[in-house]
Order: sequence, then C-alpha cells, then structure tokens
Amino acid sequence: MNDESQGLTFSTVIASTVHDMKNSLAMLMQAHSQWLARLPAGQAQGAEQAVIEHEFAHLNGMLVQLLGLYKLDVNQLPMCPGYHELDDFVEAQLAAHQQTLDSREITTRYQIDALNPLGFFDRELVGSVISNVINNAIRYAGHAMLITVSEEGEQVLMSINDDGPGYPQAMIDRQADYVQGINPHTGSTGLGLYFASRIAALHERNGVRGRIEISNGGALGGGLFTLYLP
Amino acid sequence: MLVYSQKSFLIVDDFTDFRTSVRSMLREMGIKDVDVAESGETAIRMCAQKRYDFVLHDFHMGDGKKNGQQVLEDLMLDKLISHESIFLMVTAESSQAVVLSALEHEPDAYLTKPFNRLGLTQRLDKLVQRKTLLKPILQALDRGRPPEVLLACDNLCKQDPRFAPLCLRYRADALAALNRHEDLERFLKAILANRPTPWAYAALGKLLFKRGHAAQAKEIYEQAIKAFSMMPGLYDGLAEVLAASGETRRAQTVLEDAVRLSPLAVRRQMQLGKLALNNADFDSASRAYRQAVSQGQNSRFKDPESNLGLAQALIQKNHGNGLDARTRVEINQVLGDVAKEYTDDQGLQVRARLIKATGLAQAGDAETAAKLTEAAIARLENMDQFFSAETALAVAAQLQQLGQASAGSAILKNCVEVYGDDPAVMKDVAKLTDDPSILGAGNEAVDLNRQGVRSYQAGQLSEALALFRRALGMQPKNISIALNTAQALLRVGGESPPASVLEECRTCLSKVAGIPDSDPRYERYRKLRIRAVSA
Repeated sequence: MNDESQGLTFSTVIASTVHDMKNSLAMLMQAHSQWLARLPAGQAQGAEQAVIEHEFAHLNGMLVQLLGLYKLDVNQLPMCPGYHELDDFVEAQLAAHQQTLDSREITTRYQIDALNPLGFFDRELVGSVISNVINNAIRYAGHAMLITVSEEGEQVLMSINDDGPGYPQAMIDRQADYVQGINPHTGSTGLGLYFASRIAALHERNGVRGRIEISNGGALGGGLFTLYLP
Repeated sequence: MLVYSQKSFLIVDDFTDFRTSVRSMLREMGIKDVDVAESGETAIRMCAQKRYDFVLHDFHMGDGKKNGQQVLEDLMLDKLISHESIFLMVTAESSQAVVLSALEHEPDAYLTKPFNRLGLTQRLDKLVQRKTLLKPILQALDRGRPPEVLLACDNLCKQDPRFAPLCLRYRADALAALNRHEDLERFLKAILANRPTPWAYAALGKLLFKRGHAAQAKEIYEQAIKAFSMMPGLYDGLAEVLAASGETRRAQTVLEDAVRLSPLAVRRQMQLGKLALNNADFDSASRAYRQAVSQGQNSRFKDPESNLGLAQALIQKNHGNGLDARTRVEINQVLGDVAKEYTDDQGLQVRARLIKATGLAQAGDAETAAKLTEAAIARLENMDQFFSAETALAVAAQLQQLGQASAGSAILKNCVEVYGDDPAVMKDVAKLTDDPSILGAGNEAVDLNRQGVRSYQAGQLSEALALFRRALGMQPKNISIALNTAQALLRVGGESPPASVLEECRTCLSKVAGIPDSDPRYERYRKLRIRAVSA
C-alpha cells in the first residue's frame, strides 16, 4: 500500500506544474520590473518593453485558462460566489494591465452604470475571463478601450469595447458554437471564448445562466465583448 | 492612493526573492514599517509580539509547514490579529486555495501572483476603504460583543442599504453566538432563497443539526453539495449528520470525497479514521489516521486520539496474522509519542498501554503484554479523571479482549454509574455485557432522578431535592444526578445559602470532579462549582 502514489492523479500533475510555472513567471516578471526600475528613464521604455509585458500577461492568462479548462473538464473547478464591489473589481483588472496599456498608449476608461455597488459572482473566475478579454483587446485596440458595467433587471453586464478592427464576421455569426465545443479552425481565440462562456454558465440564478456575447460596434466602434451575470 | 506611512506590514513567504520584491513595492509606496517572515510559524510569533495592520501571506509555505490557511486560523482563534487588520492570501493559483480553505475563516482577499505595485496598491486601497466602512462592526467583533455587531450592521444598512450584503455573514455569526435560533434559521433561509453561498448552506446545516432536525440538515447539505461540489466543508457537515443518524458507511464515503478534494485537514482525516474504524474498514482507517498524525505535527488540531486510533486500526487490520516488524515500529512510535507528550493525562497513559499490550499479544509476546496490562490496570485504579462514555466503552472492550474480564466489568460498572441516565450509553454497554448486576445497577437512581426533575420543573423544590439526594446516595458519581442535586441545593439555599448547604453542594460536586472537559455538561458543572465555592 503506497499512500503517496495514490494521490498522484493527472489533475495533481497539471495543478502543481501550472502552479510552478506561474510562480516562475511571477519571479520573472518581478525581476524584470526591478531591473527596469534601475534603468535610466530613456531606456526603460521601448517597443520591446511593451511586447515583453503584454506577452507576460498573455502567458499568465493562458496558464490560468489551461488549468481552468482542465478542471472544468473533470468537474473540479471550484465555484465560490460572493458579493464584490464592482468598481473595485474593474479597477483591479485594469491595474494589472496598466503598464501594458500605458506602454501601448491605449487610453482606458471605465464606467459603472449600475445602481448597485455590489455584484454577485466568483471573483477569481470572472477575473480570469475579464483579464483575458482585456489582453485580447490590448492586442487589437488602436488607441482606446472602454469597460462598462451596467444592470439589466437583476443581471449585471460587463462589457469591454475597443477601437480596433473588431471580431471577424464569421466568428460573430457562429458565436453560439463556441459554447458547445471548440472549433478546430478558430485557434486560441475560440478557446478563450469557450472558456469565458463556460465560466459565465457556472453563474446561475433561478434557472437563468450567465452567458457571453460578442459583436462589433459599441461606443468605440471596435470589438465588443459582453458578459451577462444573472 | 491612501497614506500608508504609519501602517505596519508583515510579508510571509518562503521565497526570499518574493519577500524582497514585495518589500520594495511597499517601500516605493512610502511604507517604512515592513517586517518579513520566512514561515508561518515565525509569523505567528511575530503577530503575538506586535499588532500588524496588514499581513501578506503566501498560501503554500512548503511541505511540513503551516500553510497560509492554517496560519490565518491560528491568528484568528488565538486573537493575534484584529478584525480591523487586513489579511491578504497570496497565491499562484487561487482556485486551489479556495478549496483548501475552511469556510469559517476566510482571508480578506486573495491576491494572485504575479501582481505589480499598481495592482497591490489598488487592492490595499479598496480593502482599507471597505474596512473603514465596516469599522463599527469590526470593533464590536474585536470586543466579542455580538449584540453590538448586530447594532452596527443595522446602522450601516440604514446609512446605505446597498451595502447590506456585506453584513450578511456578520449578522449570521452574531445571531449564532446569541443562540437566536429561529431568527438565524429565517435569516439563512432568506439568503439561500435569494443568492446561495457555501457559507450560508454550512451555517444552516449546522443549525438544523444542532437543533435536532437531522433529516432537514441532511437535505440542506445534499442541496449544498449539488450547488457547490468543490467545497469540502459541506461534505464534513453532511458526514456528521449521517454518522449521527447511524448511516456510518455513507458518512465514510462522503468524507472520503472531501479528503480527495482537500487532503490537508487534520480534523477531517481524524474523523474519517474514526468512521472507518467503526465500519471495520481498517485500511482506510489506518490511512486516514496516519495522515491525521503526520499533519497534526504542525497544526493546532493535533490530537492524541489519532495516535491511538492509528495503533488500533493497524492492530485490527492484522487481526489473527501477528504483526510485521514495520507495523510494530509504527505502533511503538505513535503510542510512544502519546506516552511522552501527555504525561499528566492518566486516561491516555492507560489507554496507550492497553493498546500496546493488545499489539504485543497479537505479535506473540504474551508475557510483556500481560505485564503492561497489569501496569495499566494499576494506573486505572488510581485515576480521578472520568473517561468519556465512548472511551470507557473502548477501554472495557480492550480489557475483555486482553482476557481481563473483571477489570473490564469494573470499567463498565463505573461507566453505568457515571453515565447511566443516558439511554444511548446503556445501549452500548449492553453490547459488551449481559450481566444484570451491571446493566441494572443504575435503574433505581435514574428513575428517582427523573422524578426529581419533574418535581423541580413543577416548582416543588424540597421534594425534588429529597429525590435527588436519594438518587445520589445510590450513584454518587452520576454526573447528571450530582449536578441536579447541586443546583437544587443552591436554589433552595436562596440568595446567601447557609454554610451547610454550600458544604453539601461542594461535596456532591467533588464526587464528579473527574467530568471530562469534552462533556457537554462541563460548562454547567463549572458554573455550579464557582457558585458553590465563592458564595
């Protein structure tokens, strides 16, 4: 009887490897920012710098998503909803991306139109979705990004809008498909939306499930991602 | 950005690089008072010395060390951290930390690595704002005054009803502390009908079970697990209800699920060991108890019962097959730890020896086994501490197994005297003996006690006292009868009871001074004792 080998499932392997990878990435990012702080101002900014920061965030987002998808698959993604202050939530998401937004010179604004200052959701899970969408918007945006939080009945809507070229029409037309599975031709973008829709659907109230919607337009005219939380 | 220059910070992480990096972020924010600790154990010592406004604690602190959740529990239970302080759990991956955490003690926020200075500042600013908003509630919590907590919640909700959801948990905890059962039940049911959360399910299940509604509690927990299948705390609650309703097999399965989700939990592993042992599943019992023992090394929930349970499970697992060398070493180790560490606990000393003797007898060393048993029985005779009913029955069974029928009967007789008024205990005693002189020993006294309680409730105090005295004359070590007698004496004695009444009161309480502190009546005993001594 070996107690140790019994607990070593693939889930543990993934979880602990991603955990190590994230730790390692965190070290890398911290070392990088400390190194930057020592550089003269002129050298600390540059096109490469923006790429490094963006890809750091992208890598991190993918690791979170990878683990999330795996856990969803084996029904092990913990869902722990609670009341969270909406402005705090949005500010935290933006703070995490502020450096990249600054170095890409993307002007960001957020607007909370909800009367209720609190939303009810799993902060970690929804946070990972919003973070991935922001990352995506950073990649495609021209100069501006807008995050809005509003209410529709008792639902909370979180939207991320940019001024880029928007989602390809084919993707918008087939957006319902991402909920059912991953289209092998759409690559990672589809995966991100799939992840987002699964997380949204975990939020349920009185038979109404959360969902996502993508379109083009909005105030900034580019891609518009909306998360509906019941 | 708020001003933090007057605030004290403690960073706890096992990685030096990480501590340095967070410290420099804090320095950049103008914070001077920053301490660091490389382990949770050190952090706890530091918090005992100094009040920190902020603790940033990494969740994973390496194998064999307290993790962030355990440190948080220790800090809260030992009141080493104010409710006004901010505890941030730093994790590389929060979903795992959520599963591993206990529902009772949640950090103020999770902070996911990697984070930058902006992200950290934003979190801190918001948390400070939130705590400022909740300040009157938090101060009432620090003072340990639930009515003031409720009042502070009311005030906050009046001031801005939109923030009412932030008060839900504080209200529920305060209602529970005040034993306002009906109010709490209504309150929790309203929460669950609106926006179900794991903690509200757990609180309602616990309340229903406490009030004797096991079937309803079971239903709530089952519903909760369906909604939140990754929260092990809910499984613990369900297992408790199932075990109490006699569904011990299912209780074990449920706890096995919980252990699979979150194996790092001393009490859960110990509970599983106990259930499995009762279910005669010795493999599972020894596995769970072994975990409980090893995890207990760095936990406040360390419990010698796990050591005894492990030894017992190992012995019973090999019943009829002797014991191999490795098992013998393990048994000696875990029992030796109990003997060394709990020198003042006579009950544990006796039990450790008896279990060891059983092991030796099984391994073929009858001579040493007999010697050990004799030594244990000699200690048993000098014991002033009472065993709990459960332990007494286990010891009696062990003695019978070791061929010490008369010592076993003595324990049972004693158990009947102390706990004979509890039908559940009598049912278990009957499983070990059919001797009518043991089984019937308490009948008359228990009956008199019952009549006494009726008279007492009807307000016929002197009649009640007479009945209790007669009952006590027959069974002086019965805890219920002794406490009833003492209470009736003090009641009859009035405001300032005469010396003779107090003397009698002290005498009858001293006969049951061995009451285990785990007994639900211990608090009542303690209060009566204070009145009898100080009046």
